[in-house]
Amino acid sequence: MTIEFRDLHKSFGAQHVLRGLTMTIERGEVFFIIGTSGVGKSVTIKHLVGLLQPDSGEILVDGKPVHGLAEREYYPLRKRLGMVFQHSTLFDSLTVLDNVALPLRKHQRMRMSAAREAAKERLAVVQMERYADRWPAELSSGMRKRVAIARTLTLEPQYVLFDEPTTGLDPVSARRVDEMIKRLQTLDVTSVVVSHDLTSIFTIADRIAFIYQGQAHIIGTPEQLRAADDPIVQQFISGRSDGPMETPGF
Amino acid sequence: MIARVGDVVIGVTREVGGIGVLMLQVLRALLPWPSMDARELWRNLYRMGVKSLPIILATAFFSGAILVVQSGIFVRRFGAEGLLGWATGYSTFREIGPILIALMFSGRVGSNNTAELGTMTITEQIDGLRALAIDPIRYLIVPRVTAMMVMLFALTVFGDFVAILGGALLGQVVVGVDTSVFWHSLFSNLGTWDLVHGLVKSVFFGLVISLTSCYFGISVRGGAVGVGRAVNASVVASAIGIMVTDCLLTLLMK
Ligand SMILES: Nc1ncnc2c1ncn2[C@@H]1O[C@H](COP(=O)(O)OP(=O)(O)OP(=O)(O)O)[C@@H](O)[C@H]1O
Ligand SMILES: [Mg+2]
Repeated sequence: MTIEFRDLHKSFGAQHVLRGLTMTIERGEVFFIIGTSGVGKSVTIKHLVGLLQPDSGEILVDGKPVHGLAEREYYPLRKRLGMVFQHSTLFDSLTVLDNVALPLRKHQRMRMSAAREAAKERLAVVQMERYADRWPAELSSGMRKRVAIARTLTLEPQYVLFDEPTTGLDPVSARRVDEMIKRLQTLDVTSVVVSHDLTSIFTIADRIAFIYQGQAHIIGTPEQLRAADDPIVQQFISGRSDGPMETPGF
Repeated sequence: MIARVGDVVIGVTREVGGIGVLMLQVLRALLPWPSMDARELWRNLYRMGVKSLPIILATAFFSGAILVVQSGIFVRRFGAEGLLGWATGYSTFREIGPILIALMFSGRVGSNNTAELGTMTITEQIDGLRALAIDPIRYLIVPRVTAMMVMLFALTVFGDFVAILGGALLGQVVVGVDTSVFWHSLFSNLGTWDLVHGLVKSVFFGLVISLTSCYFGISVRGGAVGVGRAVNASVVASAIGIMVTDCLLTLLMK
């Protein structure tokens, strides 16, 4: 059970975002995708659930191609492959509790009351049960993110894609999310985490892909990344503003 | 000049095509078994129908009243008191009622619907549904289309009734035609078909408004500016769609 990107290309108009991205994510690992803002990390993981289609190249999940399918063919895949969006995307018209209960009602054919009970437990895991009856618009972005994580995990996916799960969270909540991702690993869940959070990166990552100019510039364990004598990687992980790295837009 | 006309034609064709595709997707979502999210359906029935009732009834009352006041001049000049009820009923049931109510409904409910779906689109809530393996057509669009068709029909029934009431009242007060004369003229000259004719139209208007407003909502691009543009386009396109549908149906149901 693996996820494979093979020579992926994706452009938006004249902007060539992914330029031959190739990487393999192994079963059960916590795989981090890092890189500068706007480099194409969110774009990369959206390809996995069919929200974006590549211009060329292949994406394989468990050996089966998952690009160019019809919308309906993605639904079975998306139940196994959950995604937490960068901007949470909670539904404004549902309360926090009903947001989390929705996938349960739709996919496990649970009744409303049973789904709500189950949703409460899910919210407790991310310390959000006190806010069950609030509307998403009344929460801070860090709170919304935790609800979004709970919602994605309701279906118990085998793969979870986290788009910046700790951005906007205080350090304590952020470490709790890290622990949760680690705990998922013991349940044989594979996590793909997009992150800028250096603490997460160096505490929970098994392997890291550093994306630069539309390609996987380097892939390796945290130790390998630290020890790499690549000036661009060194500039990124030490957070220096001057160096060889090209950051378009700045 | 010719190029610009060409652009407009291409643009209109694309939007109409998109609305057609959405209709097919809605029909497909009803297979093999027409089911939908009950909560979404109730929520939309309430906010689209019940909340529209006051404004629709007010519009209907005044349009019935104005109709009678306008024709009052001729009624007096030609001594056609016996025709007032018939004329008011005929034009209200067949034309004025369905079309005015549909336009009001489009302005209030259609625009709101486009704005809501548009905001959901730009904030990735629609993609969020898809990522949860929930079909947005089935979960969001089908209940809205159903709610709008049902509610526009119901509002037209109430609206017709209130418009006639307004006509009868103003006929008595302003034109001086006794209500008994008005009712007699109405009931002895009009058949159920006149009422059904207009109600059939209202169901199709509901379909046009719902598909148009949903289509423009889910195809929003470009942030808040895009939502504004979509609401605008949706109201204009709905109005044109209502007129075209009205023409076609009137010819078909003669
Ligand atoms: N739907 C879209 N239409 C046009 N351009 C897009 C679209 N989505 C992404 N892009 C462009 O692709 C590039 C990569 O975007 P992406 O969201 O993947 O960045 P990111 O690496 O996730 O950055 P961040 O860390 O800020 O979230 C950006 O320059 C963006 O402008
Ligand atoms: Mg991103």
